[in-house]
Amino acid sequence: MSFAGILIELTLMPLVAFTIGLFMVLMMRKIAAKIQRRVGPPLLQPLYDIIKLYSKQTQTSHGLLHDIGIVMAVGGYIAAETMVPVPGMHGIADKAGLLTLAYVTMIPSLGLALGVGQCANPNGSIGISRALTAMLAYDVPFVIIIFGTAWFYGSNNLVEVVAAQQAGGIATWGVMQMPILAIAGLFSLYAMLGKQPFEIYVAPAEIATGPMVEMGGKFLGGLFVMQCFQLFTASAIYVSLFLGGGENWPFFIAKLFFIIAIPMSLAFLFPRYRTEDVLAAVWRWPVILGLAGVWLVMH
Amino acid sequence: MTTPLDLLLFTAAATVAGAFALGRWRDIAWLTGAFYIAQLIQLTGLDLPSASHAGFTLFGQLVGWQMDGFGRFFAIITVGAAAAATAYMGGEWGERYRQAGHSLVWLHGALAINVLAMLLLLAGNDLIALFIGWELTSWASFLLMAQGGERALRAALRYVPYAMGAAMAVLGGIVLTHAFTGTLQFTELAQRVPQLENWQLALMVTLFGVGFSIKMGLLPFHLWQAPAYAEAAGAGTSFLGAISARMGLFALALLLVKFVSLTRLADLEFVSGLFDARDLIAWVAAFTIVLPTFTALKQNDARYLLAWHGIGQGGYMLLGIVIGDATGSAGGLLHVFNYATYQAALVLSVFAVLHRTGTADLNSLGGLVTRMPLTFLVMLMGIIGLAGLPPMNGFVSKWLVYRSLMIEGRPLLFLMTVIGTLGTILSVYKLIHNTFLGQLRLEHEGIREAPWSMTIPMLVLVGIGFVTGVAPGLPLQWVNDAQAALGLPVLPHTLGGVESSQGGLDMLWVVGVLFAGFGIGALLFYGVGNRSKRIHQLDNYAGGHFLSADVRYHYSDHFYAGLMHRIGPLYRGSFTRLEEAVASANDTLAALMQAWYRQRVPMLTLLVAATAGLGWMVLQ
Repeated sequence: MSFAGILIELTLMPLVAFTIGLFMVLMMRKIAAKIQRRVGPPLLQPLYDIIKLYSKQTQTSHGLLHDIGIVMAVGGYIAAETMVPVPGMHGIADKAGLLTLAYVTMIPSLGLALGVGQCANPNGSIGISRALTAMLAYDVPFVIIIFGTAWFYGSNNLVEVVAAQQAGGIATWGVMQMPILAIAGLFSLYAMLGKQPFEIYVAPAEIATGPMVEMGGKFLGGLFVMQCFQLFTASAIYVSLFLGGGENWPFFIAKLFFIIAIPMSLAFLFPRYRTEDVLAAVWRWPVILGLAGVWLVMH
Repeated sequence: MTTPLDLLLFTAAATVAGAFALGRWRDIAWLTGAFYIAQLIQLTGLDLPSASHAGFTLFGQLVGWQMDGFGRFFAIITVGAAAAATAYMGGEWGERYRQAGHSLVWLHGALAINVLAMLLLLAGNDLIALFIGWELTSWASFLLMAQGGERALRAALRYVPYAMGAAMAVLGGIVLTHAFTGTLQFTELAQRVPQLENWQLALMVTLFGVGFSIKMGLLPFHLWQAPAYAEAAGAGTSFLGAISARMGLFALALLLVKFVSLTRLADLEFVSGLFDARDLIAWVAAFTIVLPTFTALKQNDARYLLAWHGIGQGGYMLLGIVIGDATGSAGGLLHVFNYATYQAALVLSVFAVLHRTGTADLNSLGGLVTRMPLTFLVMLMGIIGLAGLPPMNGFVSKWLVYRSLMIEGRPLLFLMTVIGTLGTILSVYKLIHNTFLGQLRLEHEGIREAPWSMTIPMLVLVGIGFVTGVAPGLPLQWVNDAQAALGLPVLPHTLGGVESSQGGLDMLWVVGVLFAGFGIGALLFYGVGNRSKRIHQLDNYAGGHFLSADVRYHYSDHFYAGLMHRIGPLYRGSFTRLEEAVASANDTLAALMQAWYRQRVPMLTLLVAATAGLGWMVLQ
């Protein structure tokens, strides 16, 4: 591919990811509303929210690092989106691979952690401490899944993994070939999204929304954008590993929304875990299932 | 005629002489620094292998020195770490150290002796030369550990019984090797050792392995290392932390890969077809990654936190080398270089904070980012490297180790390495949060940035870490030479990393896209919406209360309380108890022997000894 072609892809991929992520946020709110017998927000409400937050008159900053934290949180995900193959566009997915993508997605979290740290609010710091602990929990089954799928497809390259699944139709999708790993992956994805019962680091009643306690205006708007990217990235990785990736855009988008809808439908039924209970829950069944799945894949 | 290696060793010896002879001179750091730069230039231009004229014969064995690509790789890191440490102590830090009543002459001298001893070890061409270098290195590192006061001396003394045990084990290994193979020359050993019987090989590997593992700080011989390194003088700590323990890795890799060979090592099976000596070493390396990392997580002294991570990072290096394919061994070796760059920088940044505030206690700091922004930048880049995240070089070497474990089909070892990385991320965030983020204490309001003599060496180190993270092909050239010298497969690479259809790595693209993303993120943040207004750190949410400077509002102690609720009971101090048990058994045995020999039955002892002696003479 020509350099100009790659540049166009690198520009389009984050834009598409953000747009899909916006509608995922809408779907999440709609599901919550339906469960709670409310009407829910209108179609463009997530976009209105971002515009509102960015255009607030009062924008308070606790220092340069507070600003840079938001820049890293958004910028890191913009970079990450170029490593997730979507229909017709591969970006730099073949130059980075799944392992690199997994580590690049930690950079926005690091940025957020630095920004929150400079706010000098203990609620924010406790939130980051809990968020990092949650990461230690859900990344353990997640990397087991990365290992299992990479071993099965003989590649760490997501483009190759998707191509291998699309070669034989639904029968060759990861979920059909590695069902136990797919279940473990779904559990890990659920924990990764940080919704109830894994919502330990926001916990409004305990730590006043944790990392967001000092965030207002475009700082909070930046975190909103980050959430859109996060929803897209997590679901796109899952779809690429287990649901055959994107043959075309309609199917790809349908799969993405389907995968996100599963944890969102469950989330609003649960109260919040304690931190140690998140660890116990995620280190037990998803890890056991993941290891069993890897054993089956390797034998 | 003088060879390049002769010249290098002469320059190293001249550095020692200069450090002691002119140690009181105010600008001694410039002189020794120039000598280290000269050594670096000589090393990078060395034709490999490069032999020295120096040598002698001992018990019929030729003792000589010759440096190959493997030794050169470690030597470059050694001399580079010494140069950075010397620059750091050349200004205000050194002056303060002298004013505190310590000897800067001995600090410079000990550092120079360490470099010379390590070069002798790294260039050894036979087991006697290796042993000479080994012992000199052990005692030289003790000398460096002991600089810096009473606490440093006490911590260094704990290293002595370990070092003596290591020396005895290595000496025993050398005697056995000679008995089994009839030679001590490296080239002949590489041919003869793999031919040995399994029990001979096992005995040899055990003796050498224990000796070398002690120096490296492998489990369960690691307890001496963290206090000995953490309590030493700042510049000394950075050098010790960056490279000293890696001499154990050098010797271990020489033994396992060059002499024994990894395929022969796999013949030493514990459970047929399931678990062999190679697996055992890989698992020891994996536990060395995880356990010290989670010990680091509990530390409240920044120096100890980094020293414990140093032990853990050694596990990645050994694991990569023992996996032994081109990717894994390149990752393990590259990690030695990468680790040295960011660990030295991190240690120096912690000592810069200590220099300004007088403490490294993570519960007594906070908010220093506004007062020491450059030192913060160094620590930030350093922790990104230590945690193994892009764009720093630590990511590349760890990536190679992970990838190798994936290719070789080792899921549990892979999981252990990632758990180690995740634990590191938690631990280093606590380090930077408790030091630089959060509330600035009232007593630190007047703190200034560290002087340039301290910040420049730190910035250069993290600069190297960044450049070699973006372009890992630069140090991979040296790694390739090291792989070839060890007889390992060589990793084909590009400037940006590794090309592979099964998932390669091109850091030029990854970092380029990452910074482009940051650029767009900055445009969105600063270009859209109203300008933000800076507010005071105490102007924040406090549940309806008003904050004042005397209110402690920094969350630092017991930082991962929730995690510790779950894993806290696993910290049982088992290794400490094991060490105490061994020391206690040793004391008891010594007391028994003393009682038996000196007090209770001296005549009987004499009679038994005389009879045994006479019997031996008659039999002879």
